[in-house]
Amino acid sequence: MTPRRRGQILDALLIPILAILSGLALASVFVLLSKTSPLVAYRELFHAGFGCATLTRCALFTTLERATPLIFTGLSAVVAFRSGMFSIGQEGQFVLGAMVAAWLGYGVHLPPVVHPTVILILAMAVGAAYAYLPAILKLRLGVNEIITTIIFNNIAILFMTYLVNFPMRATRGSTAVTPVIDASAQLPEFLPGSHWGAGFILAILAVAFIWGYLWRSVPGYEQRMAGEAPGFARYGGIRSGRAALRGMLISGALAGMAGAIEVLGVHHQVLQGFSVGLGFDGVLVAILGQVHPIGVLMVAVLFAGIRLGAQIGLQITTNIPRELGGGILALIILFVAARSLYTDLLAWVARITGRGAAPRKEAA
Amino acid sequence: MIGDILTVAVLRSGIRLATPIALAAIGGALCFRAGVLNFALEGMMLVGAFTAIVAAFWTGSTYLGVLAAVAAGGLIGAIFAFFYLRYRVDLIIMALAINLFIAEMTVYFLRTFFGAFGSWSDPSIRQLPDIAIPGLDRLPILGTLLSSHNIIVYASWIAGVAAYIVLFRTKFGRHIRAVGENQSAAETVGISVPAVKLFVLVTSGCLAALGGAFLSVGHLTLFTRDMSNGRGWLGVTAALFGLNHPVFVLFAGLFFGIADAIAVRLQTVTTIPPSLVQFLPNIAAIVALVLVGLSGRLRWGTLRLRTRPPQPMAEQVDAKGP
Repeated sequence: MTPRRRGQILDALLIPILAILSGLALASVFVLLSKTSPLVAYRELFHAGFGCATLTRCALFTTLERATPLIFTGLSAVVAFRSGMFSIGQEGQFVLGAMVAAWLGYGVHLPPVVHPTVILILAMAVGAAYAYLPAILKLRLGVNEIITTIIFNNIAILFMTYLVNFPMRATRGSTAVTPVIDASAQLPEFLPGSHWGAGFILAILAVAFIWGYLWRSVPGYEQRMAGEAPGFARYGGIRSGRAALRGMLISGALAGMAGAIEVLGVHHQVLQGFSVGLGFDGVLVAILGQVHPIGVLMVAVLFAGIRLGAQIGLQITTNIPRELGGGILALIILFVAARSLYTDLLAWVARITGRGAAPRKEAA
Repeated sequence: MIGDILTVAVLRSGIRLATPIALAAIGGALCFRAGVLNFALEGMMLVGAFTAIVAAFWTGSTYLGVLAAVAAGGLIGAIFAFFYLRYRVDLIIMALAINLFIAEMTVYFLRTFFGAFGSWSDPSIRQLPDIAIPGLDRLPILGTLLSSHNIIVYASWIAGVAAYIVLFRTKFGRHIRAVGENQSAAETVGISVPAVKLFVLVTSGCLAALGGAFLSVGHLTLFTRDMSNGRGWLGVTAALFGLNHPVFVLFAGLFFGIADAIAVRLQTVTTIPPSLVQFLPNIAAIVALVLVGLSGRLRWGTLRLRTRPPQPMAEQVDAKGP
């Protein structure tokens, strides 16, 4: 490993860690507002998010279950970003994938193994198709993909609300919910009572696949070049439009699969208000994970753990609203984005102490 | 059927509903003209909605609530500008983080201070009064449409015209547009680029927050979780649809407002499921963007947004060189 490479990895790890610490420190001001000691609050948060008392009472398993869709939507964002498309349409693709799974889960009867496989493939196809629209609008007409994907998210969520309330509604009860899917379609779980299961293995496989695709395959190389250096890519004979389109289709397929796995593996039906922000968190996971599959894997677990810890540890144990979890995550992203803050800080410390290397000149 | 849906009352409610979208859109257009992508309009609007009602409750004056909201939006814009200008923070990542932070923390404060869950209101908070324009209010249809709105509705119209005058009739406006069109050229002739960017970000924060105040103390008198509900993003779309020209943008906002009002109206006069009716503004937005895209092929290419997805930082550090 060259020193430069080692420096890159150190940079990629050090800054997120500093950002997490700064985020927690700044958020403790808000914890004090609700008259609780931040140390107590954070101990509860991490205990409820990552703790493991016994094999049967292990918060970490729940965190891994909740990290599963985030890994997929995070990867989805990584592939899109790496092709030069700032797609934040994971939410819409996720919702449509979930609806495909809910519908085929009870509407079609197939033998085990075949049933979930068929559903996953179709959910991927639907997700990819839904990503095709903003991709083509961007490539043909130059319509900004951030705005179109946000509108497409709204449309998908409204469509889901309609389906859950009317054609696919199971009962006349007060909550709008689709019928429970067949047992043959449900994904196996590792431990009884936990939904942590086959979906997580698929997520790990997806991480490996996307890493191999982006860094060890020719189409992946073309796609990265189209994203990072469009001029160079064109000069090298890469059709960057096609590469970007391919990236968007893979991105949509991953998000669609995430929605299907959430239905097949966890909820087994779709409720009104399903997936609030699950797809959108994927974008943040990708940014915090350095737009890299391995980073996505680590950050997805962190994200899921902080959200779970805020929900169980903060809200139930210490009576602090669980929204603090999201606030902390937002601050962490802010600190990662403002990373030159830390070089400034180091320069300042060096000046105060009067030693150390000359501060690095920042292009501020 | 059509006459049943497109009544004067619906148009009037469309004009009202257009207010927050138009205010955000005018702010967005100012930013885009200066080459700054402001995707934090959604969060700025939400912070305005929250601050307006809380300040109105604490001070007992709705107008002071509105002022506080404008100040809060301006503050968010200033923070945004500080991180962007001083630390070169990616605008879009920053905007996403700000939007998330505000969406979560407004609910956090609501719960911590008022013990309220989904939504909060207090009987002591008074709605912004409607003001009749003398003379205009006696005209038959026009009076109903244009008179007896609250002050924020009028402010949105004034903001559109004022933004037009500033952008196209003043020296400072020429500077704003110069920065957007060619930043290094603007720098060369001595325009202070940071000052221009600070100005557009703070102004857009004030305008979007004023739109938020309309939601919580002008249109209704309550705050609900995620009250802006995508209107900030509709503002971004309206800015593009209006080709970032403040007066066109005002009408683009009106278009979305009327689409919204028609959706509400359809719910009461037909049995179409509400979620299907709410497709309307979204479909309208997509059509609007496609139209902008098509026209972009003609001569408005410079007005289209260019965004670059986030890159891993190791590579960014490399790009800066030794």
